Amino acid sequence: MSEYIVEMKHITKRFPGIVANDDVSIGIKKGEIFALLGENGAGKSTLMSMLSGMYEPDEGEIYIRGEKVQISSPNHAANLNIGMVHQHFKLVEDYTITENIILGIEPIKKFAGLFPYVGIRGANRKIEELSKKFGLEVDPTKKIADLTVSMQQRVEILKVLYREAEILIFDEPTAVLTPQEIDFLLAIIEGLRNSGKTIILITHKLEEIKRVADRCAVLNKGKLIDVLDVETTSVNLMAQLMVGREVNFESEKTPAQFKEEVLKVEQLTVKNEDGFEVVKDVSFTIHSGEIFAIAGVADNGQVEIADAIAGLIKASGGKIFLNGQDITNDSIRNRTESGISYIPEDRQKFGLFLDFDLSTNLGSKQYYKKPFSNKGILNKQEFDQFGTQLIEKYDIRSGQGIKTQVRSMSGGNQQKAIIAREIELQSPLMIFVQPTRGVDIGAIENIHRMMIEQRDQGKAILLVSLELDEIMNVADTIGVIYNGQLQKVASSDSLTTNEVGEYMMGAKHE
Amino acid sequence: MSKDNKKTSLRYRLLWPIRNEKWQPITIPVASILFSFIVAAIVILLLGKNPIQAFYNLFQGAGIFPKATYAGYKSMLTDFLSLLDAMTPLVFASLAVAVALRAGLFNIGVSGQMLFSGFIATIIVGYSGLDAFVAKPLVLLIGMIAGGLMGGLVGWLKYKFNIHEVVTTIMLNYIAQYVISFFIHNYYIDPVSRQSKYITEAARLTLVNFEFANLKMDIPLGFILAIAVAIFVKFLLDKTVVGFEIKAVGSNRDAAKYTGIKVGSNMILAMIISGGLAGLAGVTYYLGDFASIQPKVLTSLGFDSIAVALLGNSHPIGIIFSSFLISIIDQGSTYMSSQAGIRQEIASVIIGLILLFSACGAYVKHKVSRLKEKEVDRKDSES
Ligand SMILES: Nc1ncnc2c1ncn2[C@@H]1O[C@H](COP(=O)(O)OP(=O)(O)OP(=O)(O)O)[C@@H](O)[C@H]1O
Ligand SMILES: [Mg+2]
Repeated sequence: MSEYIVEMKHITKRFPGIVANDDVSIGIKKGEIFALLGENGAGKSTLMSMLSGMYEPDEGEIYIRGEKVQISSPNHAANLNIGMVHQHFKLVEDYTITENIILGIEPIKKFAGLFPYVGIRGANRKIEELSKKFGLEVDPTKKIADLTVSMQQRVEILKVLYREAEILIFDEPTAVLTPQEIDFLLAIIEGLRNSGKTIILITHKLEEIKRVADRCAVLNKGKLIDVLDVETTSVNLMAQLMVGREVNFESEKTPAQFKEEVLKVEQLTVKNEDGFEVVKDVSFTIHSGEIFAIAGVADNGQVEIADAIAGLIKASGGKIFLNGQDITNDSIRNRTESGISYIPEDRQKFGLFLDFDLSTNLGSKQYYKKPFSNKGILNKQEFDQFGTQLIEKYDIRSGQGIKTQVRSMSGGNQQKAIIAREIELQSPLMIFVQPTRGVDIGAIENIHRMMIEQRDQGKAILLVSLELDEIMNVADTIGVIYNGQLQKVASSDSLTTNEVGEYMMGAKHE
Repeated sequence: MSKDNKKTSLRYRLLWPIRNEKWQPITIPVASILFSFIVAAIVILLLGKNPIQAFYNLFQGAGIFPKATYAGYKSMLTDFLSLLDAMTPLVFASLAVAVALRAGLFNIGVSGQMLFSGFIATIIVGYSGLDAFVAKPLVLLIGMIAGGLMGGLVGWLKYKFNIHEVVTTIMLNYIAQYVISFFIHNYYIDPVSRQSKYITEAARLTLVNFEFANLKMDIPLGFILAIAVAIFVKFLLDKTVVGFEIKAVGSNRDAAKYTGIKVGSNMILAMIISGGLAGLAGVTYYLGDFASIQPKVLTSLGFDSIAVALLGNSHPIGIIFSSFLISIIDQGSTYMSSQAGIRQEIASVIIGLILLFSACGAYVKHKVSRLKEKEVDRKDSES
């Protein structure tokens, strides 16, 4: 037997118009944390989907524990003790945690030895035990719809553990988490490894690799570049190998030149569906030529501020002015027209029509006006031209260009499409919520550069991010939010990362 | 191993007609149709009859193939015109279902909307004695408005109170059925037929017993309109801003809202259009061939249209073809049963099978693409 628990040999996988994996060979040792690194669309998810039975390779062989296998379905993968936690979760919203976990392998009991029923109670107990054992506390009787993203992720992890996975694949698990949740998850992952499981971790965050991974494979445009020993490789080298050029972690930035006031938020209050005030009496202004960032721990009201400005939710109190005009009660469309671009937090739910093609999605904020349509008739050619331009300009990679169905695009490229569409609106106010989530480091650098470029062209930018590094890197002004209230608003030069962190935790306020 | 190879290859080769993904929206329904006829043939064989004969009779009855003999004033042409007459409301009704589906709404109240618009047009125009040139367009207009209003109500209830359209359409079906039946019984009943009194010829959308070349035929005036409307609906959905918004709402409501599309108004609009189309189905049905309304009965055509729309991939042009086919089987069944001695219900069995198989379309598609991948695999490994 070889030293590898998983071996993929000469794997090639083609999709229409693209070679997603090109002759990739990797071996993974039992009990290690093996990281996969690569740009958006490099083929990481695809490679791992072949291990988890979602796709079958066009060429090449897979060996599990030294035996050649053809993994034809996720069930088959589960039988081989392989489980994958996907980039975009696959859970049934209306089902409870237990129901989701046992879906497909329900423990069938017989009532009075005759009438079959699903042994939910036993399953509940087993799940509770599992969650205790691995530190993934959940209440098995809760519905998915009522869970936060990080809780949903725990369910996904429990789902594969329940199926007795020994080889666990995590596809960008930290992209949707807050820094605190990331710490927690990485600890869980290390715990899993220490209990003898083999972990494959896809991530764009080099420091995470540095922290937990043993080895790391780098993919570029479908090809395997190298397999590195993490301990002895610098973060810079990893980045360079992955992007194929040197990466600047710090954005270059000239001092900001504030001009006229673009956005003015006055005593904004927002209530959530339960009538609970999630934004309380928040006031701030953003000028032309300014990047204003809201820093804070997740769910402290920052997304609601963005939603309220863009009109997705109603303000229950206060006023919002754009270029001096009161837009508090305007429709979403009117706000877009008055000059707001909005990159939403949840790209698949709000940002995209997954079943439409790329050019339609790129034109979806302008379809109703010239030149995209004239007197109510759409001009398809214009959509195509516009789409082709944007793909070029923003380096959006996909199999079939503008005709690609967005659902089939890699996560990071979906994000790039939204950013392209919104920047192209050339709105005086641009709202970026978590713009670099799930995006590779090369692209992050580009996005930051573009934000600064837009600022220099006189746009006002509102950035909402959970990543303090990102905020410290690009923001001119920082507003720290805690519990729905702005704790502190100050120029970024006057604040240290530590100070911002303290305000974020509510430990310090003015 | 090599034997196994050959076997799969054969299976793969057998699937060649439905392998090309680009053509699958057409090839898969066609394959399901063929397949259902094969299964029906087996059933007929088991009954001890000749399936070829039976199918031939089916098409004869529908006016596609000539019959051996014709009654006076009848010919293949008159049969074919009756077929188009029966097909007309089905096209409208299926379009109604399709438009709603594209907006992510399930209009199962087509029957009720048909009845309502047919009734309103009947009492306003049907007994009025208006001139044909005024009466006929007026019937169409009233049908459209009445159906549109009823559909719009469903959309509005959904928008305003978030009541699911399936619930409202079912309830409205009952309400229409019984309220209208009350009015017919009390005000418009024909004591002999126990149906509503016949409407004037001028108001009818089918020219009955039109004499030409020694034939007496029924000319469905609405048929050309049905085709034109189907093309218009296609244009609306594919090429216009209105269609874009409707499809966007149907595809992802949250994203539509975020884009600035008014989700509520678009759902109402889609239901108005859907209802309006159902209204056209209603008037071409009740004020066409029948010229009268049977109280307390909802036509099954409104429900069949759901299946016909699905068979046509909710695509307006596809719907023309699927309506044509389903109407053939429906229309030809009487002749088939009289000639071949097979019960008429076999026709329903065939329709049922077609719908069943086409409903499996997505699964077939999935299977085919899987098989295709494997085939590519093997070719690579062989070479
Ligand atoms: N089902 C599919 N159909 C067509 N093309 C696909 C499909 N799945 C992936 N692709 C294409 O294959 C390429 C690799 O995609 P993949 O999702 O593996 O990238 P990734 O490395 O995971 O990127 P990201 O970091 O953005 O998630 C992309 O160009 C994508 O468009
Ligand atoms: Mg991916």
